[in-house]
Amino acid sequence: MPRPQTEMVTFTIDGREVRAPENAMLIDGAKYGDVEIPYFCYEPKLGNAIGACRMCLVEIEGIPKLQTGCSTPVKDGMVVNTQTERVREAQQAIVEFLLINHPLDCPVCDKGGECPLQDITMGWGPGTSRFIEPKRHFRKPLELSPLIAIDRERCIVCYRCVRFSQEVSEDYQLVLLERSSETFVGTFDGHPYVAPFSGNITELCPVGALTSSPYRFRVRPWEAENAGSLCTLCPAQCNVSFTVRDERVMRVLARDHEGVDDGWLCDKGRYGFQSIHVDERITEPMVREGGELRPVSWDRALEVAATGLAEARGKVGGLAGGGTSNEEGFLLQRLLREGLDSPNLDSRAATSMPLELERALAAPGLQASVPDLEFAHAVLVLDCEPVDDAPILDLRIRKGVRRRQVKLAVASQRPSSLDPNAFLSVRIPPGGAESLLVGLDTALSGDGEADDDAGELAAFLRGAGEDIVILYGERLFSGPRGLHAARALLNVAEALNLADVGGAGLLAIPASPNGRGLREVGVLPDAGPGLADPPAKGGGAQAIARGLAGGELSALYLLDVDPLRDYHDRGLWEAALDAAETVVAHADQMTEAVRDYATVVFPVEAYAEKEGTVVHPDGRVQRLRQAIDRPNQVRAGWQVIVDVARGVGIDLEALTSSMVSAQLFAAVPFYEGMTLDGLAGHGERWPAREQAAAVPAGASAPFALEDPPGPDEGVAGLLIGRYRSIWASKEIDASPALKFLTARQLVELSPADAQRLDVAHGEEIEVAANGHSVRGVAHLRASVPEGVVFVAEGTREQGANVLGDEARVRIGKGP
Amino acid sequence: MKLLFQDIDEPGLHTLEVYERRGGYKMLRQALGSAPEEVLHEIELSDIRGRGGAGFQMGKKASFIPKGAMDKYLVCNADESEPGAFKDRELMQKNPHQLIEGLIIGAYAAGVNRSFIFIRGEYAYQADILDAAVEEAEAAGYLGEAILGSDHDLSLVVHRGAGAYIAGEETALLDSLEGKRANPRLKPPFPAITGLYQGPTLVNNVETLSTVPHILRLGGEEFAKIGTETSSGTKVVSVSGSVQRPGNYEITLGIPAREIIYGLAGGPPEGREVKLWFPGGSSAPVLTGDDLDLSYDFDTLAKAGSMLGSGSIIVVDDSVPVVEVAKKVAKFYKHESCGKCTPCREGTNWTVKMLDRIDSGEATPMDLDILASVQDQIIGNCLCVLGDSMAMPIGAMVAKFREEFEAHIEAARERNQETTAVPEPIPLRGVNAGYAGAYPPMTAVEEMG
Repeated sequence: MPRPQTEMVTFTIDGREVRAPENAMLIDGAKYGDVEIPYFCYEPKLGNAIGACRMCLVEIEGIPKLQTGCSTPVKDGMVVNTQTERVREAQQAIVEFLLINHPLDCPVCDKGGECPLQDITMGWGPGTSRFIEPKRHFRKPLELSPLIAIDRERCIVCYRCVRFSQEVSEDYQLVLLERSSETFVGTFDGHPYVAPFSGNITELCPVGALTSSPYRFRVRPWEAENAGSLCTLCPAQCNVSFTVRDERVMRVLARDHEGVDDGWLCDKGRYGFQSIHVDERITEPMVREGGELRPVSWDRALEVAATGLAEARGKVGGLAGGGTSNEEGFLLQRLLREGLDSPNLDSRAATSMPLELERALAAPGLQASVPDLEFAHAVLVLDCEPVDDAPILDLRIRKGVRRRQVKLAVASQRPSSLDPNAFLSVRIPPGGAESLLVGLDTALSGDGEADDDAGELAAFLRGAGEDIVILYGERLFSGPRGLHAARALLNVAEALNLADVGGAGLLAIPASPNGRGLREVGVLPDAGPGLADPPAKGGGAQAIARGLAGGELSALYLLDVDPLRDYHDRGLWEAALDAAETVVAHADQMTEAVRDYATVVFPVEAYAEKEGTVVHPDGRVQRLRQAIDRPNQVRAGWQVIVDVARGVGIDLEALTSSMVSAQLFAAVPFYEGMTLDGLAGHGERWPAREQAAAVPAGASAPFALEDPPGPDEGVAGLLIGRYRSIWASKEIDASPALKFLTARQLVELSPADAQRLDVAHGEEIEVAANGHSVRGVAHLRASVPEGVVFVAEGTREQGANVLGDEARVRIGKGP
Repeated sequence: MKLLFQDIDEPGLHTLEVYERRGGYKMLRQALGSAPEEVLHEIELSDIRGRGGAGFQMGKKASFIPKGAMDKYLVCNADESEPGAFKDRELMQKNPHQLIEGLIIGAYAAGVNRSFIFIRGEYAYQADILDAAVEEAEAAGYLGEAILGSDHDLSLVVHRGAGAYIAGEETALLDSLEGKRANPRLKPPFPAITGLYQGPTLVNNVETLSTVPHILRLGGEEFAKIGTETSSGTKVVSVSGSVQRPGNYEITLGIPAREIIYGLAGGPPEGREVKLWFPGGSSAPVLTGDDLDLSYDFDTLAKAGSMLGSGSIIVVDDSVPVVEVAKKVAKFYKHESCGKCTPCREGTNWTVKMLDRIDSGEATPMDLDILASVQDQIIGNCLCVLGDSMAMPIGAMVAKFREEFEAHIEAARERNQETTAVPEPIPLRGVNAGYAGAYPPMTAVEEMG
């Protein structure tokens, strides 16, 4: 769908002729003439103006009544006055009205110092109040949720928070209760407002009515500094600014980037910063001695690591994930490839893809950007759950559907939170993604109208328009037949002509936050930096695990990743780690694999402490900037790898982080010419650069597809689907404020199956297959298809990866 | 002249049988026989102005509805909640088919296929009657698909409101009908362009639509001749307050107000005089006994600084203190303000508090200036007209009865000096209890952080 075009027109404001975009609202148009119109309720991110606060009244020649600047579009030749006596009187009236019920507790209010009401009162208010009656009183503050405190006395009823809940995140929890001056913000029956994006309302609130509990009474705005960087807790890589006081992050605010996050944050990103400053954090190097990890000096830790790795030369594997930056990933692959002759590297948790397909999927023409989700004719959400996998994209899709008439189709295994917004929802049986794609390809290339799911989906996509974005999760390619699904997807993209249309394309959500960057800098078994052919091919994650378990490999280098939690097939990884002679781990927390198996542990920087670059799923190379000092003995990750490399006898020629970045930009052809300065602020999408042509050509569609294996009918047990909750991560586990949300093993069942198995909602049950089992709480969901059970991955305990590749499971009540 | 109230007390008029016997639904047949544009033209010729309060010409409003195939709606505003107004209640209770016929004709003229009657929840009895009438009309083929063999379809749903004065404001009514909280929307866009479910929507009052069959019967031009030049037709006027015969009277627009208050309603009881009167519901700026000879029509009342509004006359005699009246009005609007926009939400609240102080003797004459200035700060600055609806009558009362206000303040102060008032403690609101027990209390969260 074409982006709306704006034309510049000339209008007069306060006697000055100003050029501004036509139909921009006056509040925005006025800024082109350096005129500020005060406002409270106006917030374009929330949708159309509602004109509630009346602060932005202005006089427009030819219109008898004062008009609201938030809802009056700029027109050519318009004459606007914001400084007349009449306007001033109205502005003072509104400020006086707003303050009659607003407590003057600014000295103890968290908003004091950054409060629009304070600023506007000083700038546009009458200076005094004639109100001498008692103000309205509420008990204060109350917990609106464990994360948010609400002080209803301070509320000026601007509607922002309610509109956010109703029209942006669409959780429909916040409402206005009562009427007139008794109006207050609340939830139905006083339920806590717990939702994935709830924290945004504290940032929207123009007064101190909604405040973050973890932030309350800890900082005064004038003592704090804001430092812009990125949140790398998930692949969405939202732009944030850290509020820093005394080298501690005190809160995280959104740093509006239209191309990434549209100015919102999820609660994981907003509150997960707490994991930076917890006692559990590893802040000194450790070495395993006598079966236990003990703190040691850096020299000793580096020596032990280098010795262990050097002994295992040729038999080392390396895995990277979590918040690993491009620079660290790049150095790791240099260390393993150049220093240890072990090209066994991987950054993907559950997939392995031939290089030619990896390249085909990375073809610049096929890459959709985040804003494309909002402006497309149609969006297909394929085998992913945006709110869990890259939460902020969920809001972007909702925005497109609500405000830009994007047609949405969802094809997923697990019932999606986007189903109610979707024009078409299709359930894929677990393991059936390939079948669906093959069917879709057949239906798109044939003429016949098949009346199965694939046929319906094909009819939808064919009739939707040319700008189609397919958003899919890395999960789509998991399992042994992943590459066949990838081929089918490429065929579908070809059939829909996604490569040649500007606003169309594919957008893949990787399983780890910088998954795309790590692949592009060469943390792949069969590709070097820039997806180039490596000098020698190695084994991927599965091969590394088998290699270690079987004795072909003897050392493992873990960069911010815990295979026992994040990787497929826990049983295999336990065996692998057990057999490994040396396990070098960069870690910030004592996760299971680190605690039980690491030989050497290097403390890693938290994301607010890091320098470097990462790559957004849509190809935007973004820059991480250090916001706070590294605590205690923590050293930069790149430096540790360089030091380890020196120990095994190779000089990686990096003295600073920016030298690594420079090496990296030179090594990846499609990053060529990038500089850290150039990436500052907004980053750069490489698929939109000229140098994007340097991506090596991959296999080209259409492929001849195999018939996918049929369903294993007649086999006993329920089909198992896997999901990973937004709340399943080590940062959530470590953040005190988010602890109440920590993902547990919720086993999702259809009510019909539950009845048949005599399982009640909330009951503890066991999911078992082939001698492995996980315990969890039965969670009945009406939208789960019969015969399928969904088991959570990535939970701290009882994760689904214990079950390995099993396709069918039995439900029991256990011992 | 009686149009709407013709045969109004005929027993059983609310049934289809009696209504048809009295010539009902003939005009619908006639309308369906001509083109929609012709019907619309007749309505435009009649110059009929909306009877709900704003007085906007119905024909003009209907002509704003875009042509072409799309979901268009007609909504009959039967949320009659203005203090002093009870005309729609009688019209719906006694002659529901007249409304339904007018509504079908209006829908035909505007090219609308879906319609609603939004009736205030308190009118449960009238809503039951409407439901029955709609059922009868459907069975008789006046509603539904291919009405009377024509190619016009119309569905009609009677929707009961949940109890808010503001739902009578047309955009708030649409929000309420959509299932949302009844809050007024920002205009523009006007409902005729973007209304119910984002579709073009014609919103008309019960009385306006009930007049439509009579316009067709008389012919637009003939109808326009009734009344004055700019206020055509008859009007059902609800007279209440200090009169001997309160009730609904159908009058020809343009007769002197005195004729309504004294002639039809019998004037105040013996020995009392009209002190002030609201010519168009409680939101109309008050007029005094000196204004009784004004012609009762839209323009004359507007020129006199008030308005005809919904045509509801409330008479107050000289035994009632003006402060009482002001308090009643202010409290009503304070209670009914939706709370969305600042001046209305805070201004009505402040006004009530000031009037309470004036009444209890805690005010000085200076407070009257503040009271008047607060009304000025409300007028024209609000999102919808509710704020103005309080500010205009209160402002008028302070301006016209300032001496009485001052005397009231003085008397109350003197009374107070005899007894020392003990200030009341500030009550805590009961509704603000948080959720209990489900999550750790705030202190626990603080400790965790």
